[in-house]
Amino acid sequence: MNVELFGMARALAGVSHVVLALDEPVELHDFLRSLAEAVPALVPDVIAASLDAFVEPNLLLLDGCRAPRAGETFVDADRPCVLFLASGG
Amino acid sequence: MMGYAGPRDLMEIDLTTRTWRRSALGDDVFADALGGVGLAVRLIDERVRGPLDPLSPENPIVFAAGPFASTPVPAANKHALATISPLTGLLNEGLSSSHFSAVLRRCGLAALVIRGAAEHWTTIAIDGDEVRFEDASALQGQSARETTKSLRDAYGDRSLRVCAIGAAGERGVRYAAVENDGRQAGRGGTGAVFGAKRLKAVALRGRGEVGIADPKRTASIAATLKARALGPKTAKYRVLGTSANLRVLQRMGQLPTRNFTAAQFEGAENVTPERARESKATYVELRAGCAGCPVQCEHLYVRKDRDRRSAAASEYESVWAFGPNCGVDDLDAVLDAIGRCDELGLDTISTGSAIAFAMECAEHGLVRSDAFGPKLRFGNGAVLIPAIDAIGARRGLGDVLADGVRAAARQIGGGAERFAMHCKGLELPGYEPRALPTYALGLATCTRGACHNRSATYDKDLRDPSDDRSDAARAQDAIEAEDRAVAWDSLVLCKFIRDCFEDFDTEAAALWSAVSGVQLDGAGLRAAAQRTWERKRAINARLGWTRDDDTLPERLFAEAIADGPNAGRRVEPGRLASLRDAYEGLRAAAGTALPVG
Repeated sequence: MNVELFGMARALAGVSHVVLALDEPVELHDFLRSLAEAVPALVPDVIAASLDAFVEPNLLLLDGCRAPRAGETFVDADRPCVLFLASGG
Repeated sequence: MMGYAGPRDLMEIDLTTRTWRRSALGDDVFADALGGVGLAVRLIDERVRGPLDPLSPENPIVFAAGPFASTPVPAANKHALATISPLTGLLNEGLSSSHFSAVLRRCGLAALVIRGAAEHWTTIAIDGDEVRFEDASALQGQSARETTKSLRDAYGDRSLRVCAIGAAGERGVRYAAVENDGRQAGRGGTGAVFGAKRLKAVALRGRGEVGIADPKRTASIAATLKARALGPKTAKYRVLGTSANLRVLQRMGQLPTRNFTAAQFEGAENVTPERARESKATYVELRAGCAGCPVQCEHLYVRKDRDRRSAAASEYESVWAFGPNCGVDDLDAVLDAIGRCDELGLDTISTGSAIAFAMECAEHGLVRSDAFGPKLRFGNGAVLIPAIDAIGARRGLGDVLADGVRAAARQIGGGAERFAMHCKGLELPGYEPRALPTYALGLATCTRGACHNRSATYDKDLRDPSDDRSDAARAQDAIEAEDRAVAWDSLVLCKFIRDCFEDFDTEAAALWSAVSGVQLDGAGLRAAAQRTWERKRAINARLGWTRDDDTLPERLFAEAIADGPNAGRRVEPGRLASLRDAYEGLRAAAGTALPVG
């Protein structure tokens, strides 16, 4: 699964994309564990140390425009992006 | 019950008569309005009881200190600056920050009200208990930064704190800013109100103690907040700055481009300051921030071959205004434009929006494309500085644009109104409302006009983008966002530490109680915020606002987003009307005695 990274996720990973080897479809919980394993630098500033949630204001948006609902699964074609909610300035 | 522990004086200055008086505000005032925006709005409410010309001597300028300024509370050296906006004709309450805010309280002041108009250019100098009216004619044409240096040299005091206007405020540009310590109260044209009063600057010197009711408790809460503010929840601001929004909004398809004719910008990657940060061989990155703030969010950039003093702040809204919104993909041109706005004392959002509006007018033959020399067209970075200079000097087409896009469209005619992107006269910030229905409602109802810092509800839209949320749920979200913003702005805490609170109402109320000595709980904080919001609406109603003014620019209804993941979305007129009805119904049900217009 190809994952686009923005903001602190990109700054910490040092790359704009990562590819995760996981079975699709995937739920957020498994996605987070796989992403943390692939990019350990994201813990604990972007992914919580418990690996079960993003640290605010980071979040996952599918195709950059919607957050998956609780329990919803998604696939590579949903174009997952790790980014943050924009604000102010 | 302990009385209010902080500085409580109100100083009222009349520039016409060159007189001043000082009085103490009662405990009831602080219990009612807290401070900052709450106090400033209360003081405006008491003084503006009917229609007035914002550029007349009668229009008051109110400074109200944040109640945590000059205390250990982090990210809280801030003050409100309120007046009637010459851009919207309605209430304008802005914020600024840093040393000036702290020294306002060290002068023993909770608030400062300035009315009247001076005969000649004047600096008001407040030195503790004393007020002097100094001739400022020699400061005319100087930037705020130059004015600060001139006044410090004249007083022989490097610690003098100054807020001032630049040439744009002197010339009455209706979106001129007021600057102190390199920070700006930018939106709504308070700088033009200074100019109309021939008030060049306010200089402060104060070394008084600032009382804290419970220093131990305050220090404990402040230490917790500071530790959180140095953690991951503010990393985005500390490490990257607000301009990191640009790549994110581009990916989301939420990046208004070429005056809102597109929502993704093909040149975004060229103009993002993140790229400058990553190009250490080409650019130098400098850091700055407000006094007493651990976040230090400001990231300035300058090419290595240029003088570091020309480094420009790369705030998202400023970069957006001259970059994507003008279709310019040249980062150096964008940074130069931001720097020139700061020199002249111009709000970058409104200035960039005015130029984007003019570019679209030129493309449709409504204004001359050579009005500023280099061709006035989207994508031409070479026209930015000449256009900004013309606006700042009120010269030619710049004079028309200096009144804001709403007034400029009326003057240009020929259907230019459809290119004027504003709410109630205040130009839109850099977020695409067509894909964010709750945010769109908040922009429409915001008492200040199109301000992203008074009704930021895009969070809810993004987390739950389905269309099955009821109008009532969206309206409730918008109301909560508005009232929450009033609470932040009355305390006054920087919104960049918003994620550092686990339960904002409870924790913020406890902090207020510890600092001020006036007991408050979370429900009391929410009630105080609602009172202030009601005052804002009541002031606007007296100034002529009606419900029909709570709308959005025509383009957002008539034209769907053309590109990106949100292609095809637009604001349905009936949907906005329905949302507004739900909003008004909920406000009324909460007990708000609303003028309905």
